[in-house]
Amino acid sequence: MAMAALPVADRDRAIAGMDFADIVRHYQSMVFSIARHFLGDTSSAEELAQDVFLQLHSALDGLESGEHVKFWLRKVTAHRCIDHRRRRRPRQVSLEDAPEPTSPENAGDPLLARRLRQYVASLPEKPRLVTILRYQEDMLPEDIAEVLAMPVATVKSHLQRSLAMLREKVSRTMGEVAL
Amino acid sequence: MNPIDQNPNRLENVLKEALRRQDAPENFAADVLARIDQKSTESEPQHSWMSIFSRPALRWAACAAVFICLTLGGIHYRHVQRERAKGEAAKQQLMLALRIAGSKLQLAKERVNDINAARPQSQPESRTPRSRS
Repeated sequence: MAMAALPVADRDRAIAGMDFADIVRHYQSMVFSIARHFLGDTSSAEELAQDVFLQLHSALDGLESGEHVKFWLRKVTAHRCIDHRRRRRPRQVSLEDAPEPTSPENAGDPLLARRLRQYVASLPEKPRLVTILRYQEDMLPEDIAEVLAMPVATVKSHLQRSLAMLREKVSRTMGEVAL
Repeated sequence: MNPIDQNPNRLENVLKEALRRQDAPENFAADVLARIDQKSTESEPQHSWMSIFSRPALRWAACAAVFICLTLGGIHYRHVQRERAKGEAAKQQLMLALRIAGSKLQLAKERVNDINAARPQSQPESRTPRSRS
């Protein structure tokens, strides 16, 4: 997101008052979760997230606000996830390796959620990333398009196809669940 | 509200639940800071070597040295080129002189051959009367 397009309140929310450790603590869950959901592997996700923050440490001087840092982190994490996946062979995600929710008391249907994480992890790279940014980060297609440098129509198309694919897989394996 | 939020269905709600943010591992921030410290320690020797150029006087001296080297190198290169051109001209002149000398020699050789070819016919006639007398 271009800085000029940010609301004034966000632009004024400077990051100058935060030291780097605060910034890491503030955004670590976001970066780690994007990587974890994309890669389906905790140790790889942790390593990738650390690399993203190392890169942020070098690039911090060019970033002007909290919103700018957030945008930068999402963009760099997304691109690093794709690079990481292309360098290594895709791995099968086992049921045991599927991430656990952080607050199980809010989980509606743990089995369905676990299955869905597996199915999301099996989507092609770009649709997977679009789905994670949409449903983990609650981002609008326009913002996802900016982060991933792709047309909004492509983002919407990825979302529609991914949802259809996920719905079909869930219906096939868990037919009794109405979605 | 985007179109997806306007028409929420169960799959999207479950997806939001399934893809909820997770806590990073414990000590994540500490590990990141440790890696940054390690990285800066590793890059220090290189930094100290390069830091000599942080002094303005040394920076100017380095620039002047590079400029002088380039100028002297250019002068030397031009000198070598000029000498090479002179040598080439001298070589061309020598080749021309050798070609002229060669053609003159060829001419002289042809004359001598002509004279030699004419001599055996006239000698017996001039000697015979003298031997008889």
